[in-house]
Amino acid sequence: MQASAETLAFLHDVRVLEAFSDEDLAALTERLRERDLRRHQILFREGDRGDEMFIVRRGTILISKAVTGKVEQVLVRVEPFDFFGEMSLFDGSPRSATAQAETDVELLMLGRDSLQAMTEAAPRAAAAFFYAMVQVFMERLRRSTLQVAEATRWGLEATGLDVEAR
Amino acid sequence: MQRPAPAKFELLVRRDDTEDFELRQVASVVGYLNSRPRRVDPESYEISELRSRLAVSPGFILKNTATDRFLLLSAQERFLWDQMDGATALQEIATAYVLKYGEFDFEIIPSLLRKLQRAQLLTFEPRSRLRAALARNRGRVVVKALELALTSLERIRISSQNVQGFFQALYRFGGFLVFTPLAAVVCAALAGVGAAAAVMLFRDVRDMLEGFGGHALRGVLTVKLVFFASVALHQFVHGLACVHYRRRVREFGFTFLHGFVPTFYVDVTDIFMASRRARVVTAVTGALVHLVLGAVAFIVAAQAPTGSFTQAFAAASGIIQWQALVVALYPFCFIEMDGYHILVDVLGVPTLKADAIAYAKRILTGAGRLRQGREELLWIAYVVLSTLSVAGFIAFNVWIIFSATH
Repeated sequence: MQASAETLAFLHDVRVLEAFSDEDLAALTERLRERDLRRHQILFREGDRGDEMFIVRRGTILISKAVTGKVEQVLVRVEPFDFFGEMSLFDGSPRSATAQAETDVELLMLGRDSLQAMTEAAPRAAAAFFYAMVQVFMERLRRSTLQVAEATRWGLEATGLDVEAR
Repeated sequence: MQRPAPAKFELLVRRDDTEDFELRQVASVVGYLNSRPRRVDPESYEISELRSRLAVSPGFILKNTATDRFLLLSAQERFLWDQMDGATALQEIATAYVLKYGEFDFEIIPSLLRKLQRAQLLTFEPRSRLRAALARNRGRVVVKALELALTSLERIRISSQNVQGFFQALYRFGGFLVFTPLAAVVCAALAGVGAAAAVMLFRDVRDMLEGFGGHALRGVLTVKLVFFASVALHQFVHGLACVHYRRRVREFGFTFLHGFVPTFYVDVTDIFMASRRARVVTAVTGALVHLVLGAVAFIVAAQAPTGSFTQAFAAASGIIQWQALVVALYPFCFIEMDGYHILVDVLGVPTLKADAIAYAKRILTGAGRLRQGREELLWIAYVVLSTLSVAGFIAFNVWIIFSATH
């Protein structure tokens, strides 16, 4: 895609790209692809193959995981400037959750090949990218831990289970 | 500390096979209200009414027959228990409660659920499909055998179930005679003759105790050891009474009461499921062993040559046996013996001792104030009578030993 001023300004505010210079961002932008989703359109389902990550430019993406039958638990809402799908980008594993547009959405896609090329062409920028990515991973890990505790609390409250007395 | 808000899940519910969906916030409280508690299977519990002269409304004893745990339920709790069929949601149960009683106590349901869960009388798990399928096909011999085998395996307990057969045999081969009118007449006659013999003996207690030949203290201790054997007999009769009322004797054994008093014991808690008469008879008949043995001992002592060892030994045994009778049947001695159980059963206050001691402690430490309610008066009466009785009992024994040694 073309590196318009508006796109470069947007990418500057994307957390994992904050440390990028204008030149690095311009080079990266050329490797990004655009993808639009209409409201409620599914981007990928849990278990699908994939090797790209997505940056939300506009709208909201729901990430959900199947619980039972037609019911899924909403894990997170991905808002503009945030990204998702990076796990398959790195290890090529099937998608661990489903991504679906809650509203009309505009996305920027970064494929594994593009990431590889960026790492070779701009190692300094790539290092900043990976460093920022690790920080985001740690935040998400903390959030997952809280979600596990919250799920446990939900179960205890919903069943009225008296664990303290056992 | 402020309680956190109820935990919430955000769920995405899909419609058919389209991409369309609906988002739902589900708070834990919604899950709670929609949960369907199910009491354990009917063969795993028994419930019996406990009438009280003090309590305004009747209470109930609920027993888990698998674990032998007991719970006291109020009439309201009994109503809620009856609703917990696994098909009715808590919200519907609460509605039924309001319709029945015209009010709602927000703590009663969670409190009851906790109680029932602790006693393993409740489950949120669905009924075993295998057991349900077996029950449906009970007509087939193989299925029935499999179901019986499963039931037997579930009820295997170490030691507790092994004594029932023994007590049943004991009852069948003569034990039943204890519960005949003739036995009651013989008991009363022995008590009368024994009392007369005791009065006669104690006119000259000094000569009688000379039979120990200057070793009265050693003699009394020997008598105490022999008495110990009679405690086993006492427990046997409790067990026989339990069998008489077609209830189960769970355990028979030996232990150190309060950590230091060696004693035999029998677990006849199953009698709680029988009538009050059955409970009273079970409690009293065990103690009557001491009445009979004491009477026989006094009669023997009265017939023995004055100043002989036989007379001294028999008389001392009689004293101890009748003391045991009093201790067993007298409820005010801080010990939960047979008489205490009869008292709390009649009053309908199963936690009398604990409540009374706790109340007295609060008053003595200044943590509570003296009140004149019916329960408070009962607690004070229990503590005062028990204190005086224990003091009197100790004084009497000191007097006996002093008389024997001087």
